[in-house]
Amino acid sequence: MRKRSPTAMRLGSLLIATLLVGGCGSGTEDLVRRAAQDFSSAVADGDGARACGLLTEQARENADCAALEVPGGPVEQVEVWGDAARVRTAGDVLFLRELAVGWRVSGAGCEPRGDRPHECEVGGP
Amino acid sequence: MKRVLRDNGLGLFFGLLFLASLVGQAFAGNADLNERRLTDGGDPIGLGAYVLSSDFAVDVAENWQSEYLQFVLFILAGVWLVQRGSTESKPAHRLGRETDEQQLLGAHVEPGSPPWARAGGWRTALYSNSLGLVMLALFLGSWGAQSIAGRSSYNNEQLVHFQDTVTWWEYLASPDFWNRSLQNWQSEFLAIGSMVVFSVYLRQRGSSQSKPVGSPHTDTDENG
Repeated sequence: MRKRSPTAMRLGSLLIATLLVGGCGSGTEDLVRRAAQDFSSAVADGDGARACGLLTEQARENADCAALEVPGGPVEQVEVWGDAARVRTAGDVLFLRELAVGWRVSGAGCEPRGDRPHECEVGGP
Repeated sequence: MKRVLRDNGLGLFFGLLFLASLVGQAFAGNADLNERRLTDGGDPIGLGAYVLSSDFAVDVAENWQSEYLQFVLFILAGVWLVQRGSTESKPAHRLGRETDEQQLLGAHVEPGSPPWARAGGWRTALYSNSLGLVMLALFLGSWGAQSIAGRSSYNNEQLVHFQDTVTWWEYLASPDFWNRSLQNWQSEFLAIGSMVVFSVYLRQRGSSQSKPVGSPHTDTDENG
Protein backbone atom coordinates (compact mmCIF):
# COMPACT_ATOMS: atom_id res chain seq x y z
CA MET A 1 0.00 0.00 0.00
CA ARG A 2 1.34 3.37 -1.03
CA LYS A 3 2.10 5.65 1.93
CA ARG A 4 1.32 9.34 1.81
CA SER A 5 4.10 11.67 2.89
CA PRO A 6 3.56 13.64 6.12
CA THR A 7 4.03 16.85 4.12
CA ALA A 8 1.27 15.93 1.69
CA MET A 9 -1.06 15.09 4.54
CA ARG A 10 -0.33 18.39 6.28
CA LEU A 11 -0.93 20.34 3.08
CA GLY A 12 -4.13 18.43 2.46
CA SER A 13 -5.33 19.21 5.97
CA LEU A 14 -4.42 22.87 5.50
CA LEU A 15 -6.40 23.03 2.28
CA ILE A 16 -9.45 21.41 3.83
CA ALA A 17 -9.22 23.69 6.88
CA THR A 18 -8.96 26.73 4.66
CA LEU A 19 -11.95 25.71 2.60
CA LEU A 20 -14.20 24.94 5.50
CA VAL A 21 -13.16 27.74 7.83
CA GLY A 22 -15.83 30.10 9.09
CA GLY A 23 -17.99 28.76 11.82
CA CYS A 24 -16.09 25.58 12.35
CA GLY A 25 -15.60 24.06 15.76
CA SER A 26 -17.96 23.57 18.68
CA GLY A 27 -15.30 25.27 20.86
CA THR A 28 -15.90 28.59 19.14
CA GLU A 29 -19.68 28.14 19.37
CA ASP A 30 -19.34 27.51 23.11
CA LEU A 31 -17.40 30.77 23.55
CA VAL A 32 -20.06 32.68 21.61
CA ARG A 33 -22.87 31.02 23.55
CA ARG A 34 -21.20 31.87 26.87
CA ALA A 35 -20.67 35.53 25.86
CA ALA A 36 -24.31 35.88 24.83
CA GLN A 37 -25.54 34.20 28.02
CA ASP A 38 -23.29 36.37 30.21
CA PHE A 39 -24.64 39.51 28.54
CA SER A 40 -28.28 38.41 28.82
CA SER A 41 -27.77 37.44 32.48
CA ALA A 42 -26.15 40.78 33.28
CA VAL A 43 -29.07 42.65 31.70
CA ALA A 44 -31.62 40.46 33.49
CA ASP A 45 -29.80 41.07 36.82
CA GLY A 46 -29.89 44.83 36.25
CA ASP A 47 -26.07 44.93 36.26
CA GLY A 48 -25.64 47.58 33.57
CA ALA A 49 -21.92 48.00 34.17
CA ARG A 50 -21.21 44.31 33.68
CA ALA A 51 -23.45 44.18 30.62
CA CYS A 52 -21.77 47.21 29.04
CA GLY A 53 -18.40 45.60 29.69
CA LEU A 54 -19.52 42.80 27.39
CA LEU A 55 -20.36 45.16 24.53
CA THR A 56 -18.04 46.23 21.71
CA GLU A 57 -16.71 49.77 21.86
CA GLN A 58 -19.04 50.86 19.05
CA ALA A 59 -22.09 49.32 20.73
CA ARG A 60 -21.19 50.95 24.03
CA GLU A 61 -21.03 54.43 22.50
CA ASN A 62 -24.77 55.08 22.47
CA ALA A 63 -25.82 52.58 25.14
CA ASP A 64 -27.45 53.72 28.39
CA CYS A 65 -25.63 51.35 30.71
CA ALA A 66 -27.81 52.29 33.68
CA ALA A 67 -31.01 51.30 31.92
CA LEU A 68 -30.28 48.53 29.43
CA GLU A 69 -33.42 46.73 28.39
CA VAL A 70 -33.35 43.92 25.87
CA PRO A 71 -35.33 40.69 25.71
CA GLY A 72 -33.49 37.69 27.11
CA GLY A 73 -34.09 33.98 27.36
CA PRO A 74 -32.08 30.78 26.87
CA VAL A 75 -29.85 30.48 23.83
CA GLU A 76 -31.57 28.52 21.06
CA GLN A 77 -29.24 28.86 18.08
CA VAL A 78 -25.63 29.94 17.51
CA GLU A 79 -24.19 30.75 14.08
CA VAL A 80 -20.53 31.69 13.68
CA TRP A 81 -18.76 32.86 10.52
CA GLY A 82 -15.15 33.95 11.02
CA ASP A 83 -14.98 36.73 13.62
CA ALA A 84 -18.75 37.41 13.60
CA ALA A 85 -21.67 35.52 15.10
CA ARG A 86 -25.42 35.66 15.56
CA VAL A 87 -27.24 34.18 18.54
CA ARG A 88 -30.98 33.63 18.76
CA THR A 89 -32.43 33.37 22.24
CA ALA A 90 -36.03 32.70 23.20
CA GLY A 91 -36.79 36.41 22.92
CA ASP A 92 -33.90 38.13 21.16
CA VAL A 93 -31.38 38.20 18.34
CA LEU A 94 -27.83 39.25 19.24
CA PHE A 95 -24.82 39.90 17.04
CA LEU A 96 -21.29 39.36 18.33
CA ARG A 97 -17.71 40.08 17.18
CA GLU A 98 -14.52 38.33 18.15
CA LEU A 99 -12.02 40.88 19.42
CA ALA A 100 -8.57 40.47 20.95
CA VAL A 101 -10.22 40.39 24.39
CA GLY A 102 -12.76 37.74 23.36
CA TRP A 103 -16.31 37.69 22.02
CA ARG A 104 -18.30 40.85 22.60
CA VAL A 105 -21.89 41.81 21.79
CA SER A 106 -22.12 44.26 18.88
CA GLY A 107 -25.91 44.38 18.74
CA ALA A 108 -28.76 43.28 21.00
CA GLY A 109 -32.51 43.58 20.88
CA CYS A 110 -32.26 43.27 17.10
CA GLU A 111 -35.24 43.08 14.75
CA PRO A 112 -34.96 41.92 11.12
CA ARG A 113 -35.80 44.32 8.28
CA GLY A 114 -35.80 42.04 5.26
CA ASP A 115 -32.61 42.43 3.25
CA ARG A 116 -31.61 45.54 5.19
CA PRO A 117 -29.47 45.41 8.36
CA HIS A 118 -31.30 44.52 11.57
CA GLU A 119 -32.44 47.40 13.75
CA CYS A 120 -31.04 46.99 17.27
CA GLU A 121 -31.97 48.55 20.60
CA VAL A 122 -28.34 48.30 21.75
CA GLY A 123 -25.49 48.72 19.27
CA GLY A 124 -26.22 47.63 15.73
CA PRO A 125 -25.54 49.47 12.44
CA MET B 1 21.56 19.55 -12.46
CA LYS B 2 22.29 22.19 -15.11
CA ARG B 3 20.45 20.10 -17.68
CA VAL B 4 17.45 19.67 -15.36
CA LEU B 5 17.26 23.43 -14.90
CA ARG B 6 17.60 24.05 -18.62
CA ASP B 7 15.01 21.43 -19.60
CA ASN B 8 12.52 22.72 -17.03
CA GLY B 9 13.28 26.43 -17.18
CA LEU B 10 9.84 27.60 -18.29
CA GLY B 11 8.00 25.60 -15.66
CA LEU B 12 10.42 26.64 -12.91
CA PHE B 13 10.23 30.32 -13.90
CA PHE B 14 6.46 30.47 -13.73
CA GLY B 15 6.37 28.24 -10.67
CA LEU B 16 8.59 30.68 -8.79
CA LEU B 17 6.56 33.66 -10.03
CA PHE B 18 3.39 31.93 -8.85
CA LEU B 19 4.82 31.32 -5.37
CA ALA B 20 6.17 34.85 -5.08
CA SER B 21 2.88 36.42 -6.11
CA LEU B 22 0.89 34.12 -3.82
CA VAL B 23 3.05 35.21 -0.89
CA GLY B 24 2.65 38.83 -1.96
CA GLN B 25 -1.11 38.37 -2.20
CA ALA B 26 -1.14 37.00 1.35
CA PHE B 27 0.56 40.11 2.71
CA ALA B 28 -1.52 42.56 0.67
CA GLY B 29 -4.76 40.72 1.39
CA ASN B 30 -4.01 40.60 5.11
CA ALA B 31 -3.40 44.35 5.17
CA ASP B 32 -6.57 44.99 3.16
CA LEU B 33 -8.72 42.84 5.46
CA ASN B 34 -7.27 44.50 8.56
CA GLU B 35 -8.11 47.94 7.16
CA ARG B 36 -11.72 46.84 6.69
CA ARG B 37 -11.83 45.26 10.13
CA LEU B 38 -10.66 48.47 11.81
CA THR B 39 -13.31 50.40 9.87
CA ASP B 40 -16.15 48.09 10.92
CA GLY B 41 -15.17 47.73 14.57
CA GLY B 42 -13.20 44.50 14.50
CA ASP B 43 -9.62 43.72 15.48
CA PRO B 44 -6.79 42.98 13.02
CA ILE B 45 -5.49 39.44 12.52
CA GLY B 46 -1.97 38.15 11.84
CA LEU B 47 -0.70 36.69 8.56
CA GLY B 48 -0.93 33.12 9.86
CA ALA B 49 -4.60 33.48 10.73
CA TYR B 50 -5.26 35.30 7.45
CA VAL B 51 -3.93 32.54 5.17
CA LEU B 52 -6.27 30.11 6.96
CA SER B 53 -9.24 32.44 6.53
CA SER B 54 -12.09 32.18 4.06
CA ASP B 55 -11.19 35.66 2.74
CA PHE B 56 -7.81 34.41 1.51
CA ALA B 57 -9.23 31.10 0.29
CA VAL B 58 -11.94 32.71 -1.86
CA ASP B 59 -9.55 35.27 -3.32
CA VAL B 60 -7.19 32.46 -4.38
CA ALA B 61 -9.88 30.03 -5.56
CA GLU B 62 -11.78 32.56 -7.67
CA ASN B 63 -8.64 33.22 -9.69
CA TRP B 64 -7.64 29.58 -10.04
CA GLN B 65 -11.07 28.49 -11.31
CA SER B 66 -11.08 31.08 -14.07
CA GLU B 67 -7.61 30.08 -15.25
CA TYR B 68 -8.59 26.43 -15.53
CA LEU B 69 -11.90 27.30 -17.20
CA GLN B 70 -9.94 29.31 -19.75
CA PHE B 71 -7.72 26.30 -20.46
CA VAL B 72 -10.62 23.83 -20.68
CA LEU B 73 -12.47 25.96 -23.20
CA PHE B 74 -9.32 26.79 -25.15
CA ILE B 75 -8.24 23.14 -25.31
CA LEU B 76 -11.65 21.95 -26.47
CA ALA B 77 -12.48 24.88 -28.77
CA GLY B 78 -9.12 24.39 -30.47
CA VAL B 79 -10.25 20.97 -31.71
CA TRP B 80 -13.08 22.34 -33.82
CA LEU B 81 -12.47 26.08 -34.25
CA VAL B 82 -9.66 27.79 -36.14
CA GLN B 83 -8.17 31.25 -36.39
CA ARG B 84 -6.37 31.53 -39.67
CA GLY B 85 -2.83 32.78 -39.24
CA SER B 86 -2.72 32.38 -35.46
CA THR B 87 -0.04 30.48 -33.53
CA GLU B 88 -2.83 29.38 -31.19
CA SER B 89 -4.77 27.59 -33.93
CA LYS B 90 -4.53 24.44 -36.04
CA PRO B 91 -4.67 24.79 -39.80
CA ALA B 92 -8.20 24.45 -41.17
CA HIS B 93 -7.47 21.16 -42.98
CA ARG B 94 -6.87 19.49 -39.59
CA LEU B 95 -10.22 20.49 -38.08
CA GLY B 96 -11.70 17.99 -35.62
CA ARG B 97 -10.17 15.09 -33.66
CA GLU B 98 -7.94 14.08 -36.62
CA THR B 99 -6.96 10.64 -37.88
CA ASP B 100 -4.99 8.00 -35.98
CA GLU B 101 -2.12 8.60 -38.36
CA GLN B 102 -2.08 12.32 -37.51
CA GLN B 103 -2.38 11.54 -33.79
CA LEU B 104 0.26 8.73 -33.83
CA LEU B 105 -2.15 6.11 -32.55
CA GLY B 106 -3.00 2.52 -33.40
CA ALA B 107 -0.69 1.28 -36.13
CA HIS B 108 1.09 4.64 -36.13
CA VAL B 109 2.48 4.71 -32.59
CA GLU B 110 6.18 5.46 -32.27
CA PRO B 111 8.81 3.84 -30.03
CA GLY B 112 8.70 6.82 -27.70
CA SER B 113 4.90 7.11 -27.55
CA PRO B 114 3.48 7.20 -24.00
CA PRO B 115 2.41 3.78 -22.65
CA TRP B 116 -1.30 4.63 -22.59
CA ALA B 117 -1.13 5.90 -26.18
CA ARG B 118 0.19 2.43 -27.17
CA ALA B 119 -2.17 0.44 -24.89
CA GLY B 120 -5.36 0.88 -26.92
CA GLY B 121 -8.89 0.42 -25.57
CA TRP B 122 -10.19 2.54 -22.67
CA ARG B 123 -6.69 3.54 -21.63
CA THR B 124 -5.99 5.24 -24.95
CA ALA B 125 -9.50 6.73 -24.99
CA LEU B 126 -8.95 8.20 -21.53
CA TYR B 127 -5.43 9.39 -22.29
CA SER B 128 -6.69 10.99 -25.52
CA ASN B 129 -8.84 13.29 -23.36
CA SER B 130 -6.59 13.54 -20.30
CA LEU B 131 -5.57 17.17 -20.78
CA GLY B 132 -9.13 18.44 -21.05
CA LEU B 133 -10.35 16.19 -18.24
CA VAL B 134 -7.66 17.27 -15.79
CA MET B 135 -8.25 20.95 -16.56
CA LEU B 136 -12.00 20.42 -16.18
CA ALA B 137 -11.49 18.68 -12.84
CA LEU B 138 -9.25 21.49 -11.62
CA PHE B 139 -11.81 24.08 -12.76
CA LEU B 140 -14.71 22.33 -11.04
CA GLY B 141 -12.65 21.74 -7.90
CA SER B 142 -11.51 25.32 -7.58
CA TRP B 143 -14.94 26.72 -8.50
CA GLY B 144 -16.41 24.50 -5.80
CA ALA B 145 -13.78 25.76 -3.35
CA GLN B 146 -14.67 29.34 -4.35
CA SER B 147 -18.34 28.66 -3.59
CA ILE B 148 -17.59 27.23 -0.13
CA ALA B 149 -15.01 29.82 0.92
CA GLY B 150 -17.01 32.58 -0.74
CA ARG B 151 -20.13 31.72 1.21
CA SER B 152 -18.11 31.74 4.44
CA SER B 153 -16.57 35.13 3.66
CA TYR B 154 -19.93 36.53 2.52
CA ASN B 155 -21.73 35.33 5.64
CA ASN B 156 -19.02 36.88 7.81
CA GLU B 157 -19.63 40.22 6.07
CA GLN B 158 -23.38 39.80 6.47
CA LEU B 159 -23.11 39.29 10.23
CA VAL B 160 -20.61 42.14 10.62
CA HIS B 161 -23.24 44.37 9.03
CA PHE B 162 -26.15 42.90 11.04
CA GLN B 163 -27.70 41.16 8.06
CA ASP B 164 -28.95 37.62 7.48
CA THR B 165 -26.70 34.79 6.33
CA VAL B 166 -27.33 32.53 3.31
CA THR B 167 -27.26 28.80 2.62
CA TRP B 168 -24.84 27.36 0.09
CA TRP B 169 -27.63 27.09 -2.52
CA GLU B 170 -28.63 30.70 -1.91
CA TYR B 171 -24.99 31.74 -2.25
CA LEU B 172 -24.70 29.99 -5.64
CA ALA B 173 -27.48 32.30 -6.89
CA SER B 174 -26.05 35.40 -5.19
CA PRO B 175 -24.62 38.48 -6.90
CA ASP B 176 -21.42 38.05 -4.85
CA PHE B 177 -20.71 34.58 -6.31
CA TRP B 178 -21.47 35.56 -9.90
CA ASN B 179 -19.72 38.91 -9.68
CA ARG B 180 -16.56 37.14 -8.51
CA SER B 181 -16.88 34.47 -11.22
CA LEU B 182 -17.74 36.70 -14.16
CA GLN B 183 -15.18 39.41 -13.43
CA ASN B 184 -12.50 36.73 -13.61
CA TRP B 185 -13.96 35.02 -16.69
CA GLN B 186 -14.10 38.19 -18.78
CA SER B 187 -10.40 38.83 -18.29
CA GLU B 188 -9.43 35.26 -19.11
CA PHE B 189 -11.43 35.20 -22.31
CA LEU B 190 -10.08 38.62 -23.27
CA ALA B 191 -6.51 37.36 -22.74
CA ILE B 192 -6.98 34.26 -24.86
CA GLY B 193 -8.84 36.14 -27.57
CA SER B 194 -6.13 38.78 -27.64
CA MET B 195 -3.38 36.19 -27.98
CA VAL B 196 -5.26 34.30 -30.70
CA VAL B 197 -5.70 37.44 -32.81
CA PHE B 198 -2.50 39.35 -32.00
CA SER B 199 -0.34 36.35 -32.92
CA VAL B 200 -1.67 36.58 -36.48
CA TYR B 201 -0.21 40.01 -37.07
CA LEU B 202 2.47 40.62 -34.42
CA ARG B 203 5.79 38.90 -33.79
CA GLN B 204 8.18 38.25 -30.92
CA ARG B 205 11.44 36.91 -32.29
CA GLY B 206 12.44 33.58 -30.73
CA SER B 207 9.28 33.12 -28.67
CA SER B 208 7.40 29.82 -28.67
CA GLN B 209 4.23 31.92 -28.80
CA SER B 210 5.13 33.77 -32.01
CA LYS B 211 5.54 32.86 -35.65
CA PRO B 212 8.94 33.52 -37.21
CA VAL B 213 9.23 37.24 -37.84
CA GLY B 214 9.17 36.77 -41.60
CA SER B 215 6.17 34.38 -41.66
CA PRO B 216 3.17 35.48 -43.70
CA HIS B 217 0.09 36.45 -41.70
CA THR B 218 -1.83 33.62 -43.39
CA ASP B 219 0.51 30.89 -42.07
CA THR B 220 -1.26 29.01 -39.25
CA ASP B 221 0.11 26.89 -36.38
CA GLU B 222 3.74 27.79 -36.71
CA ASN B 223 5.95 28.89 -33.82
CA GLY B 224 9.15 30.93 -34.04
